Amino acid sequence: MGMDIERAADDESGGVAGIVGRRALQLVSAGREQYSVLVRTMYYVARGKMEGGVLARQMYEIGNRSLFLLTVVMGFIGTILVLQAGLQTRRVVPDLSMLGASYLELLVRDLSASIVALMLATRVGAGIAAEIGSMVVTEQVDALRMCAADPIDYLVKPRFLASIVMTTVLTIWSGGVSIVTGMITADVVFQVAPKTFWNLSLVHASDLFICLVKCLAYGAAIPVVSATSGLSTFGGSEGVGWATTKAVVNSSLAVIILNFLISSAGLIAFS
Amino acid sequence: MSTPLVAVAFSPFARARDSFMALAATIGEMGIVALRIMSRLWRLDLDGRELMRNMYKMGVKSLSIVVVTALFTGAIMVVQAAPIVKRYGAQQLLGWGAGFGTLREIGPLLTALMISGRVGANNAAELGTMTVTEQIDALRALAIDPVAFLVVPRFIAMVTTLFLSTLYADALALLGAAYAGQALIGVEPMTFYNGLVSGLLGVGDVMNGLVKSVIFGIVIGLSSCHFGLSVTGGAPGVGRAVNATVVASAAGIFIVDYFVSFILG
Repeated sequence: MGMDIERAADDESGGVAGIVGRRALQLVSAGREQYSVLVRTMYYVARGKMEGGVLARQMYEIGNRSLFLLTVVMGFIGTILVLQAGLQTRRVVPDLSMLGASYLELLVRDLSASIVALMLATRVGAGIAAEIGSMVVTEQVDALRMCAADPIDYLVKPRFLASIVMTTVLTIWSGGVSIVTGMITADVVFQVAPKTFWNLSLVHASDLFICLVKCLAYGAAIPVVSATSGLSTFGGSEGVGWATTKAVVNSSLAVIILNFLISSAGLIAFS
Repeated sequence: MSTPLVAVAFSPFARARDSFMALAATIGEMGIVALRIMSRLWRLDLDGRELMRNMYKMGVKSLSIVVVTALFTGAIMVVQAAPIVKRYGAQQLLGWGAGFGTLREIGPLLTALMISGRVGANNAAELGTMTVTEQIDALRALAIDPVAFLVVPRFIAMVTTLFLSTLYADALALLGAAYAGQALIGVEPMTFYNGLVSGLLGVGDVMNGLVKSVIFGIVIGLSSCHFGLSVTGGAPGVGRAVNATVVASAAGIFIVDYFVSFILG
């Protein structure tokens, strides 16, 4: 049946209905591929057996090597957000004492996890797809299969686990960085004292819970989506480029859509 | 032979120095690419057909991801603003809040990130493949200027694409926000639109976002052309170049955003 769908998706006829139908079939077969990689990864994770060294190396690749980028980006983000929010709020209400409280709430519930995930989707997603894609093109993945080692077990599983752990860790760190830069901006530009800024009255346990759910979901989605496009690479260096592009776009879209789903679910569940 | 203790103690500094020098070299090389592009633009020396082809490939083909991103982004803005709206019962302020957030920051930023992922990465991959397969050298051998023939049309197409996509995404995000507001927190779309035009938002906010989008387009274009043209080492090299492009564009976008926000106020 899979063959039928793929053949129909490649068919180039039939007006508007044909285009819509073709797009839908492409979407279905892409979704099924994604799902299959996810399920097989989960299977190998559940089966246990893990080489610690491989996991540690992936954690270093995904976590430590993203640290500098994320620190810089989130530092700037904290400043921009407080600056824009302060400038706009001043137009409506002159009192900025709640600026810090609202900022911390927004940061915990959404922004720290989502912006970190968007940056990781570009950095880690592109990295995973480029690495696995190069392996596919140079037939290293086929060699793995020849050795009876499933590439999902050998390549995707360590990245999956490392990404889940490191997305959470990096979100906490980056949240801290943007709180500090936001606090400094509020103090320097709007004369809001750090003591007034550090107001956790609007941050509830439910916000922290949503943040953690987002970390887990993003951390799981990015490696699965990028590994799928890496494994489906074909052709030479052009194919690797295509796979990398697809990984970045699809994992960013996955982050945005998951963000919408989790945020709406949280809004409905906790209010 | 063991490393001397002094060298070990100073190795973090040495590493920091090396990465700083590498960063400076990259920025310098991007500056050279920018100068070359400027000199061809000044003489209007560029390939028209290649420009049209790239405009189609980058602009029209990116439409679907811009649409999806914008609609979801608008909806997310409303979801995040919902607790504040509920707390103060300020339904008429929802349009203003989502509007200024979308027009000034989130619209241009997310569109730029998606375009950098799709167009910037793709462009680096394409130029990179041409470099590894020596097609650029072949162009030079035929006395065709690769910058005028390949780089300038791509650069212009990318800046134009991002500008137009941002305009489009702003409108769609506000539409998504209006209907998400109705579905999730029961704010009528009419109330939302009234909040949008209540006078707290002006043309200035839209222009602010559009100026940003042009500058983001320049950042994406320069980094993807630079990394694409400096690929070495076959297929893995192309993968690394694409990776470097998206990372450099994303970091560049956020850093430039800070300065532009600060200057435009």
